[in-house]
Amino acid sequence: MADGGDVPVIGDKPVIERVAARPAEETYRSPGEWVRKNLFPTPFNSFLTVAVGLFVLFSARGLLNFVFSEERGWDAVRTNLRLIFTHAYPEEQYVRVWVCVGVVAVLAGLSLGLFASRGDGLRLRKIANGLNAAAVAIAGGIVLREPSVLVGADGETVRDGDGVVRQSFAEAMTDRWGWWLVAAILAVIALALRRVPERSDGSHPAVRALDFAVGALAVPVISAWVYPWGHYAFADGEFIAEPGRTVAMSTKLPWTVMWVLAVASLIAGRWVRSRVDERALARLRVVVSCTWLLVPFVLYWVVLRDPDLDWDRILTVDMPLALAFGIGGGIVLRWLTKDGIGEFGRISAVALLGLAAFHWVAAFMGWYPMLQKVRISFLLLAVMALLAHNFSGEAAKRRRLVLAWFVITTVFHYFATVMNTPSTVETPTEALIGGFAVTLVVAVFTLMLSFPLGVVLALARTSRLPIFRVMSTAYIEVVRGVPLITILIFFVVILPLFLPANMEISLFASATLGYTLFSAAYLAENVRGGLQSIRRGQYEASDAVGLSTVQRTVFIVLPQSLRASIPPLVGQVIATFKETSLLAIIGVFDILRMANSVIPAQTQFLGIKREGLLFVSLVYWVFSYMLSKQSQRLERRLGVGER
Amino acid sequence: MSKRLVRRFGGLLAVLALLGAACGSDDDEAADEPAATTEAADDPAATDATEVELVQADDDLLDTVMARGELKCGVSGAAVAFSETQPDGSQTGFDADYCRAVAAAIFGDAEAVEFVPLTAAERFTAVQTGAVDVLMRNTTWTQGRDTEVGMDFGPTTYYDGQQLMARAGDGFTSASTVADIDGAIVCTNAGTTTEQNIADAADAAGVSIQLNTFEDFDIVTTNFINGACNIVTTDGSALVGRKANQQPDGEEWVIFPPTPISKEPLGPTYGQNQSRFADVVNWTVYATIIADEKGITSGNVDARLGDGSLDAEAVRLLGGDGELQTAMGLSADAFHSVISQVGNYDEIYSRHLNPVGLSREGSANAGWLDGGLIYAPPAR
Repeated sequence: MADGGDVPVIGDKPVIERVAARPAEETYRSPGEWVRKNLFPTPFNSFLTVAVGLFVLFSARGLLNFVFSEERGWDAVRTNLRLIFTHAYPEEQYVRVWVCVGVVAVLAGLSLGLFASRGDGLRLRKIANGLNAAAVAIAGGIVLREPSVLVGADGETVRDGDGVVRQSFAEAMTDRWGWWLVAAILAVIALALRRVPERSDGSHPAVRALDFAVGALAVPVISAWVYPWGHYAFADGEFIAEPGRTVAMSTKLPWTVMWVLAVASLIAGRWVRSRVDERALARLRVVVSCTWLLVPFVLYWVVLRDPDLDWDRILTVDMPLALAFGIGGGIVLRWLTKDGIGEFGRISAVALLGLAAFHWVAAFMGWYPMLQKVRISFLLLAVMALLAHNFSGEAAKRRRLVLAWFVITTVFHYFATVMNTPSTVETPTEALIGGFAVTLVVAVFTLMLSFPLGVVLALARTSRLPIFRVMSTAYIEVVRGVPLITILIFFVVILPLFLPANMEISLFASATLGYTLFSAAYLAENVRGGLQSIRRGQYEASDAVGLSTVQRTVFIVLPQSLRASIPPLVGQVIATFKETSLLAIIGVFDILRMANSVIPAQTQFLGIKREGLLFVSLVYWVFSYMLSKQSQRLERRLGVGER
Repeated sequence: MSKRLVRRFGGLLAVLALLGAACGSDDDEAADEPAATTEAADDPAATDATEVELVQADDDLLDTVMARGELKCGVSGAAVAFSETQPDGSQTGFDADYCRAVAAAIFGDAEAVEFVPLTAAERFTAVQTGAVDVLMRNTTWTQGRDTEVGMDFGPTTYYDGQQLMARAGDGFTSASTVADIDGAIVCTNAGTTTEQNIADAADAAGVSIQLNTFEDFDIVTTNFINGACNIVTTDGSALVGRKANQQPDGEEWVIFPPTPISKEPLGPTYGQNQSRFADVVNWTVYATIIADEKGITSGNVDARLGDGSLDAEAVRLLGGDGELQTAMGLSADAFHSVISQVGNYDEIYSRHLNPVGLSREGSANAGWLDGGLIYAPPAR
């Protein structure tokens, strides 16, 4: 706090030097001086400070009185934490949820270890100031909140003629000794941090910001071992006050394991980074990034659902099919990249595309039956064939294309099989998961599907070929002109009526589809903004060195334009994440619907709604804030706005 | 050159033909892309995905359900005492138990239900598209819904009706009528028939009221508690639940008039023209009512079958001869499973509706022998 507000004047050092030496030495001012300088410099500013301060104080008091009021039914939230986060996912299968969290923790640790830049670090004095501010805020809150209501021996609140009877102020202050203790501990830690001596070279002692964040995460994890957060378990329609069965008690071990996994993989990532050279590091980073892309599919379709695989069918149908496409397609692609195949190769690729399209027309007209995944495989092969001429020539390039085809076929056929296999995880309701988990799943799948679609739409809209340009423009303008909720209701209510008989599409799938199409249109516009920021010279230069259109787009234009459009893209990501709350309206049991209608409808918590909504807002805010912070880091690293 | 071209194309076609042959000819994988995945691959009835039809009119729903091994039952998931989602995700309530009863009749297992929570907007589409087999979701039986929406209604399981709730401190009693509410601020939730009903009732009684509507009934109740509304109105069952749970200390809420201002018969709903399935649902409801009439409960059903204290009708219903049940396509002891696993009407009612303060006595939901409307045709 005391470091804030440095106007570039004070001190005997010239301004120029301060700018040049970036981690500028900050002049330390006493709190009194800081207050006078920043809060009460002129009479008018003093008036503003007082007015705004009073407003903030009254708002804080209102919020505190609301949150800590004896009338609040926070038990409704604490008892329903399971419902809020995973809906009806069976308790005995929870280890699957923890595996998912663990995989994400490990990947996050590895990525941070491999990618994170060192930065300036967080000065201990700054941490101490933050802790001090927290202690002051807690102490202020203790004093601000109105005295608690008296509760009689029968558990009912005590009333007299004027309403409820409250404690005296002194009683209330002594009653809140726990909070005083917390404030005191924070202040003591802050004092201790301030006492850490300067390093021998005169610089301020600091820790890496990442280390500090990871360490701070340990506090809630450890607290679960000390204090039984959450409510006692709810079983067989009754609250069972059985010690050791609160939310904290049942999750403290898993959360500890998750934290240890994250820390261990962070350390491992750093160790590997210090050991390998730049080239290997770049490769490792690609591997980790690709893993991130695959992980949502594996976690949702394999780990959470635990597909009940029918091996007879897999061995007789699925595996031969994948092999036939892998090998047959590999041969076709290898042949298409042969030296001197020229125009003939392109004609063959277009013929292949025609064949793939014909299968879809046939499906629509009902001429002959065919597995859907075969149709999709033909389409994928046709797309690869169209790209093939870019890889002709060198043996290594040709091998790479065939290898890519093998990987694509394997991954696609694997997931197609897994997704069409019924789940072994039995839930009482139709959906596998709900609550916050469905929010995350829909948001992640929407982003993964809409990003490529959005980039393609943006490229099509800036294309020189009128057919692509007109179609893409029409799509984007239509989708942007329709409210999201309309699209969602269309996909959920109307789409099932158009589907062939016996074909169902789950609510979750149709909603994801709607979100994807909507979000892609907006992403396309953001990417187009980036595309237009690329100067003509870049295009001319890539033409001059003889790059093909695909090469120019993939290697020159897209990397620059995506970098330029990071801020709006992240804005769209956060918007999509928050827009998943519209799922509540179309009947998906997401986190908002839990708080808004499911919990208030439980007999024992009838009408308790505001508590749940406040909690849900908090969850949304935490995740959106994390996304926003990450995007700021990304912008800094890629130097957006500086170059 | 042209010869080479032909050879090349021939080779390409041969490869493609091989691939096509390897593809198999069944088409039960309806959609493979991640965004549009169906979990219907295990459904033996799903054979031809290319035929476009709105409702599977040719398939017999009862056979489909039996082949699936699970009943898909549409519920609200957020209706106090009718279908509540518990903190562990399970469904409880009056409607949820009737889902279990139908599953017990079809499969002999009350837990063979997949609950499909639906919003009010989705529920009819869900029945039409076959996303649910039966809808147990506080759906009022009206002429329009029965004839236009493409669904049929089963026997009414709960007779509800719109009532009003006010503070006793404002001079209202449970014998008050709509004529007594002149000048009051009446609140209700928007977008339902309750708004129209209270306006009509006020007109008919010749009183003027100020009608305020809010998005949902939780907000209506909050406004009632903090005094912004003098009177709230909605279905009587909901009012009783609110009174039982949210009436503040030192205040007395009363519900009136004794005869509701609207009729809201609630019961099971299923797709149109599925008479075999409809028979099963209807007779499951009737079986619980007959069992209640004869005092057969989940606790005493086996004992009473054993000691021969049951009349011929009850024995027939519980599987004595059994041909009535087998003629419906069920096992002979189908309704025995219903009674022993879920209970009779009174058990289901008192398990869920008594705790929120809804009692059968004196209401339309009493048995016909006690002056109510709960009545079943004879089982013979």
